[in-house]
Amino acid sequence: MTTVFGIGCLAETLIVFVLLLRLVAGPTVSDRIVALNTISTQAALAVLCFSVYADRSIYLDVALWLASFSYLGTIVWSRYLERGLL
Amino acid sequence: MKTVAVAALVAVGVGFSLSGAVGIVRMPDVYTRMQCSSKTVTMGALPVLVALAVAKGPVSNYGGRALLVGGLLLVASPLASHVLARAAYKSGIPLWEGSVLDQAAERAGPPGADRRRGPEPGP
Repeated sequence: MTTVFGIGCLAETLIVFVLLLRLVAGPTVSDRIVALNTISTQAALAVLCFSVYADRSIYLDVALWLASFSYLGTIVWSRYLERGLL
Repeated sequence: MKTVAVAALVAVGVGFSLSGAVGIVRMPDVYTRMQCSSKTVTMGALPVLVALAVAKGPVSNYGGRALLVGGLLLVASPLASHVLARAAYKSGIPLWEGSVLDQAAERAGPPGADRRRGPEPGP
Protein backbone atom coordinates (compact mmCIF):
# COMPACT_ATOMS: atom_id res chain seq x y z
CA MET A 1 0.00 0.00 0.00
CA THR A 2 2.96 2.29 0.68
CA THR A 3 4.19 1.59 -2.84
CA VAL A 4 0.86 2.68 -4.29
CA PHE A 5 1.16 6.07 -2.64
CA GLY A 6 4.81 6.34 -3.68
CA ILE A 7 3.82 5.81 -7.30
CA GLY A 8 0.97 8.28 -6.84
CA CYS A 9 3.38 10.90 -5.52
CA LEU A 10 5.70 10.41 -8.50
CA ALA A 11 2.78 10.61 -10.94
CA GLU A 12 1.46 13.85 -9.45
CA THR A 13 4.96 15.33 -9.64
CA LEU A 14 5.16 14.39 -13.33
CA ILE A 15 1.77 16.03 -13.92
CA VAL A 16 3.20 19.23 -12.43
CA PHE A 17 5.86 19.16 -15.16
CA VAL A 18 3.14 18.86 -17.82
CA LEU A 19 1.41 21.88 -16.32
CA LEU A 20 4.66 23.85 -16.33
CA LEU A 21 4.40 23.86 -20.13
CA ARG A 22 1.23 25.94 -19.89
CA LEU A 23 2.75 28.10 -17.17
CA VAL A 24 5.63 28.97 -19.49
CA ALA A 25 3.65 29.21 -22.73
CA GLY A 26 0.36 30.74 -21.55
CA PRO A 27 -0.36 33.74 -23.74
CA THR A 28 -2.20 35.71 -21.07
CA VAL A 29 -1.75 36.13 -17.34
CA SER A 30 -4.98 34.29 -16.55
CA ASP A 31 -3.75 31.18 -18.38
CA ARG A 32 -0.73 31.21 -16.12
CA ILE A 33 -2.92 31.68 -13.04
CA VAL A 34 -5.06 28.67 -14.04
CA ALA A 35 -1.93 26.56 -14.46
CA LEU A 36 -0.51 27.78 -11.15
CA ASN A 37 -3.76 27.02 -9.32
CA THR A 38 -3.76 23.47 -10.65
CA ILE A 39 -0.07 23.08 -9.84
CA SER A 40 -0.72 24.00 -6.22
CA THR A 41 -3.50 21.40 -6.00
CA GLN A 42 -1.23 18.76 -7.52
CA ALA A 43 1.57 19.76 -5.15
CA ALA A 44 -0.77 19.31 -2.19
CA LEU A 45 -1.70 15.86 -3.47
CA ALA A 46 1.95 14.92 -4.00
CA VAL A 47 2.85 15.98 -0.46
CA LEU A 48 -0.13 14.02 0.84
CA CYS A 49 0.93 10.85 -0.96
CA PHE A 50 4.51 11.36 0.15
CA SER A 51 3.44 11.62 3.78
CA VAL A 52 2.01 8.10 3.56
CA TYR A 53 5.04 6.86 1.65
CA ALA A 54 7.46 8.28 4.23
CA ASP A 55 5.11 7.38 7.12
CA ARG A 56 5.25 10.86 8.64
CA SER A 57 1.88 12.40 9.41
CA ILE A 58 3.45 15.81 10.06
CA TYR A 59 3.80 16.32 6.31
CA LEU A 60 0.03 16.33 6.07
CA ASP A 61 0.03 19.78 7.63
CA VAL A 62 1.94 21.07 4.61
CA ALA A 63 -0.75 19.69 2.32
CA LEU A 64 -3.42 21.19 4.55
CA TRP A 65 -1.77 24.59 4.31
CA LEU A 66 -1.41 24.33 0.54
CA ALA A 67 -5.05 23.36 0.13
CA SER A 68 -6.39 26.07 2.41
CA PHE A 69 -4.29 29.07 1.36
CA SER A 70 -3.18 28.55 -2.23
CA TYR A 71 -6.51 29.78 -3.57
CA LEU A 72 -5.92 33.15 -1.89
CA GLY A 73 -3.12 33.79 -4.37
CA THR A 74 -5.53 33.17 -7.23
CA ILE A 75 -8.06 35.57 -5.75
CA VAL A 76 -5.47 38.32 -5.25
CA TRP A 77 -4.14 37.96 -8.80
CA SER A 78 -7.70 38.03 -10.15
CA ARG A 79 -8.39 41.21 -8.24
CA TYR A 80 -5.34 42.88 -9.77
CA LEU A 81 -6.38 41.60 -13.19
CA GLU A 82 -9.87 43.00 -12.82
CA ARG A 83 -9.27 46.41 -11.29
CA GLY A 84 -5.68 47.33 -12.05
CA LEU A 85 -2.91 47.84 -9.55
CA LEU A 86 -4.82 49.91 -7.00
CA MET B 1 -8.82 -6.22 -0.84
CA LYS B 2 -8.13 -2.90 0.78
CA THR B 3 -4.97 -2.52 -1.26
CA VAL B 4 -6.91 -3.13 -4.47
CA ALA B 5 -9.48 -0.48 -3.53
CA VAL B 6 -6.75 2.01 -2.63
CA ALA B 7 -4.85 1.32 -5.84
CA ALA B 8 -8.00 1.75 -7.91
CA LEU B 9 -8.85 5.06 -6.24
CA VAL B 10 -5.31 6.39 -6.67
CA ALA B 11 -5.33 5.27 -10.31
CA VAL B 12 -8.64 7.08 -10.94
CA GLY B 13 -7.30 10.22 -9.27
CA VAL B 14 -4.01 10.22 -11.14
CA GLY B 15 -5.75 9.46 -14.44
CA PHE B 16 -8.16 12.36 -14.10
CA SER B 17 -5.36 14.67 -12.97
CA LEU B 18 -3.34 13.71 -16.03
CA SER B 19 -6.28 14.24 -18.37
CA GLY B 20 -6.96 17.60 -16.76
CA ALA B 21 -3.32 18.62 -17.18
CA VAL B 22 -3.35 17.57 -20.83
CA GLY B 23 -6.57 19.55 -21.25
CA ILE B 24 -5.00 22.63 -19.70
CA VAL B 25 -2.09 22.36 -22.12
CA ARG B 26 -4.19 21.59 -25.21
CA MET B 27 -7.37 23.68 -24.82
CA PRO B 28 -7.59 26.81 -26.98
CA ASP B 29 -9.00 29.31 -24.53
CA VAL B 30 -8.63 30.42 -20.92
CA TYR B 31 -12.26 29.62 -20.13
CA THR B 32 -12.09 26.07 -21.49
CA ARG B 33 -8.81 25.60 -19.66
CA MET B 34 -10.52 26.66 -16.47
CA GLN B 35 -13.06 23.91 -16.98
CA CYS B 36 -10.28 21.32 -17.16
CA SER B 37 -8.75 22.79 -14.02
CA SER B 38 -12.04 22.27 -12.14
CA LYS B 39 -12.14 18.63 -13.23
CA THR B 40 -8.67 18.19 -11.78
CA VAL B 41 -9.93 19.05 -8.32
CA THR B 42 -13.25 17.19 -8.19
CA MET B 43 -12.29 13.97 -9.94
CA GLY B 44 -8.51 14.13 -9.57
CA ALA B 45 -7.91 15.19 -6.00
CA LEU B 46 -10.87 13.74 -4.15
CA PRO B 47 -10.32 10.05 -5.10
CA VAL B 48 -6.72 10.26 -3.87
CA LEU B 49 -7.88 11.78 -0.59
CA VAL B 50 -10.58 9.12 -0.21
CA ALA B 51 -7.92 6.49 -0.96
CA LEU B 52 -5.84 7.85 1.91
CA ALA B 53 -8.88 7.76 4.20
CA VAL B 54 -9.60 4.17 3.13
CA ALA B 55 -5.99 3.09 3.62
CA LYS B 56 -5.49 4.59 7.06
CA GLY B 57 -9.07 4.74 8.37
CA PRO B 58 -11.17 7.91 8.40
CA VAL B 59 -10.64 8.71 12.09
CA SER B 60 -6.89 8.40 12.17
CA ASN B 61 -4.03 10.85 12.10
CA TYR B 62 -3.94 10.59 8.29
CA GLY B 63 -7.53 10.04 7.24
CA GLY B 64 -9.03 12.87 9.26
CA ARG B 65 -6.65 15.42 7.85
CA ALA B 66 -7.07 14.02 4.35
CA LEU B 67 -10.83 14.48 4.58
CA LEU B 68 -10.27 18.00 5.93
CA VAL B 69 -8.07 18.78 2.92
CA GLY B 70 -10.80 17.41 0.68
CA GLY B 71 -13.45 19.62 2.26
CA LEU B 72 -11.24 22.69 1.96
CA LEU B 73 -10.51 21.93 -1.70
CA LEU B 74 -14.21 21.47 -2.43
CA VAL B 75 -14.99 24.87 -0.90
CA ALA B 76 -12.02 26.89 -2.09
CA SER B 77 -11.46 25.69 -5.63
CA PRO B 78 -14.83 26.68 -7.20
CA LEU B 79 -14.53 30.04 -5.46
CA ALA B 80 -11.11 30.68 -6.98
CA SER B 81 -12.27 29.48 -10.42
CA HIS B 82 -15.30 31.74 -10.32
CA VAL B 83 -13.30 34.81 -9.33
CA LEU B 84 -10.68 34.10 -11.96
CA ALA B 85 -13.24 33.59 -14.73
CA ARG B 86 -14.95 36.82 -13.81
CA ALA B 87 -11.66 38.72 -13.77
CA ALA B 88 -10.59 37.23 -17.09
CA TYR B 89 -13.86 38.16 -18.75
CA LYS B 90 -13.89 41.68 -17.34
CA SER B 91 -10.30 42.35 -18.32
CA GLY B 92 -11.27 41.66 -21.92
CA ILE B 93 -9.65 38.34 -22.70
CA PRO B 94 -11.37 37.13 -25.89
CA LEU B 95 -13.32 33.91 -26.19
CA TRP B 96 -12.11 31.24 -28.57
CA GLU B 97 -13.28 32.03 -32.10
CA GLY B 98 -15.19 28.73 -32.20
CA SER B 99 -17.35 29.69 -29.22
CA VAL B 100 -21.03 29.77 -30.08
CA LEU B 101 -22.58 31.66 -27.18
CA ASP B 102 -21.63 34.60 -24.97
CA GLN B 103 -24.56 35.17 -22.66
CA ALA B 104 -22.77 37.75 -20.52
CA ALA B 105 -22.25 40.01 -23.55
CA GLU B 106 -25.89 39.63 -24.57
CA ARG B 107 -26.99 40.62 -21.10
CA ALA B 108 -24.68 43.62 -21.05
CA GLY B 109 -26.23 44.95 -24.28
CA PRO B 110 -24.57 46.58 -27.28
CA PRO B 111 -21.87 48.57 -25.40
CA GLY B 112 -20.63 45.36 -23.80
CA ALA B 113 -19.40 44.29 -27.24
CA ASP B 114 -19.03 40.75 -28.48
CA ARG B 115 -15.68 39.51 -27.29
CA ARG B 116 -15.36 36.86 -29.95
CA ARG B 117 -12.55 37.48 -32.35
CA GLY B 118 -13.21 37.42 -36.05
CA PRO B 119 -16.18 38.64 -38.08
CA GLU B 120 -19.60 39.24 -36.64
CA PRO B 121 -21.81 36.15 -37.13
CA GLY B 122 -24.74 38.26 -38.29
CA PRO B 123 -28.40 38.17 -37.25
